[in-house]
Amino acid sequence: MSALLAVLPALPLHEAGKYVAGAYVVLFALVLIYVGIMAVRSRRLERDLAELLAREQRASRAEGDAPAEGSADSAGAQSQTARRESTLV
Amino acid sequence: MYGKGLRALSISTVAVMSVALGLVFFWVPLEAEQGFLQKIFYVHVPLAIVSLCGFVAGGIFAIQHLRTREQKWDFRSYVAIHTSLIFGVATLITGSIWAKGSWGHWWVWDEPTLVSFLIVFLLYATYQPLRFAIEDPERQARYASVFAVTAGAFVPLNFVAVRASTAYVHPRVLGATSNLPWQMSLTFLVSLLGMALLFTTLCKYELTAKHTRAQLRALMRLAERRAGASTSAPPQRGRSAAPSLHATAMTANPSEGRAR
Amino acid sequence: MSTAVPDARRAAEEGSPESHTAHEGTAPAQRARPARTWTVVRALLRKELLVELRTLESAPGMSLFAVTTFVVFHFALNRNSVDGDLAAGILWVTLLFAAMLGVNRLFVADADQGGFDGFLLAPVDRSAMLLAKGLALLAYLVVLELIAVPAFGLLLLAPPLGHALPELIGVLALGDLGVAAIGTLVAALAVRTRARDLLGPLLALPLLVPVVIGGARASSPLLALGHAGEPPGRWLLTLGLYDLVFGLIAYALFEFLLED
Repeated sequence: MSALLAVLPALPLHEAGKYVAGAYVVLFALVLIYVGIMAVRSRRLERDLAELLAREQRASRAEGDAPAEGSADSAGAQSQTARRESTLV
Repeated sequence: MYGKGLRALSISTVAVMSVALGLVFFWVPLEAEQGFLQKIFYVHVPLAIVSLCGFVAGGIFAIQHLRTREQKWDFRSYVAIHTSLIFGVATLITGSIWAKGSWGHWWVWDEPTLVSFLIVFLLYATYQPLRFAIEDPERQARYASVFAVTAGAFVPLNFVAVRASTAYVHPRVLGATSNLPWQMSLTFLVSLLGMALLFTTLCKYELTAKHTRAQLRALMRLAERRAGASTSAPPQRGRSAAPSLHATAMTANPSEGRAR
Repeated sequence: MSTAVPDARRAAEEGSPESHTAHEGTAPAQRARPARTWTVVRALLRKELLVELRTLESAPGMSLFAVTTFVVFHFALNRNSVDGDLAAGILWVTLLFAAMLGVNRLFVADADQGGFDGFLLAPVDRSAMLLAKGLALLAYLVVLELIAVPAFGLLLLAPPLGHALPELIGVLALGDLGVAAIGTLVAALAVRTRARDLLGPLLALPLLVPVVIGGARASSPLLALGHAGEPPGRWLLTLGLYDLVFGLIAYALFEFLLED
């Protein structure tokens, strides 16, 4: 057993190395693809949220100046928490 | 709140998987028969086990959904099955790579684990088309739960049946977990733990993202209601088979009156 | 088939206490007591078989499909006769696909013409419909096999069917139970989705793989050339257990599909 332990498989250049590398790369690739899909979804979420914010700001600005400030603050706080939460992941 | 604890979970996943990788490539001894190729065992078998448990968990969540009619259970069921399907694909690919390395063929019918996985994969691949084919969200969730329970019960039975049917011409090397030297057992367990943590992290991540999306949708609805019917609804960015969670329904009791 | 709805309602009502008294002349039954499940099942089954006799939708088509498939197999395999494993495989695959035709049509009339609603209005156990439809499907399968198995013996099978026939009937019966249980559940699941003809077989086939495994392995020694052997007991046991488990699962889950 210790004789086998002596083999340090850090950079195997023989046949089996390709397959093992392939298997681990598959796992890595799938996780990356998952992350990529989530990134696309996050971007969409952010875009929709920005759109919603813009619409709300426009609507409240149309109502008048004083209410506009209040809603802009709350909308700003909302987008800030959304940004903070999105950086958590 | 789904996002709570996600950071800690992902950090522990990275930690455990790094330890597992280190053990696999720098510590555990080479296996006598298969040599270096055997190291795929530490990624293929944990993937398989976690995937199967995920499918069964999806069935259990579905039972909860049918019992309580709370949408959050359907949600968890969907995400569990969804993630298990991804892990199942990874199992098939890594198993195929291992088969190619061992026997020279990309597919072997003699390996009951691979065959069972193929059947299970084919079954669960119909899960999303099934959901997609039902418009009414409540009925979609209910039918999906019925499917998830049936399929969840099928998974272990399928394994038994396929294993019984496989002719033992080739020695079963790919799945051999019995009488391993303790170094291999330890490495295997650490890899398994890492894979399970990865699964949980990915599930939690998806749940958080979906929940956020649902809250945004609820917010949009509120905004539209306040603004009146003058503003047009935001364009539908493509339909998704994923269940749309209504954020308001999450906190409220199971959905409104069904005459039973 | 405009008779479907009034038939359904009449069948459901026939199970109720009022007609009970009319038929059997017993003392006026307590109106609060719902009808016994078996009476309802009998009534529903009678309706199913009557409708099938009048329209001849399922059973003849299934049988014809099976015979045609044997012809196709002759050309596809380029063989005049088969035996053993190959024969068992061809027989079971053909029966399975013919069964899919029956499964597709099982609930179509009820879904399209309000039969579900009629049934739901009646104060009866919902699972009665599962039992009735399952037994109807079983009946169609029996008719299918009455035609297909002799045809198979005539067209493709090398050894004579004679002395292996009783055991073959036993194996087929066990397989039919599994197909009926799973087929009915899947049919109910798929019928009210958009791609019902596609989803039915897609859902059913993976779930039926263990039935095919058990059935083919058990029939193979019966269809072997020369001295026909005994079906291995463990496959009969596997089939029986699988039928039992999925029969129970279908029974438990069916009413969730009917709630609309």
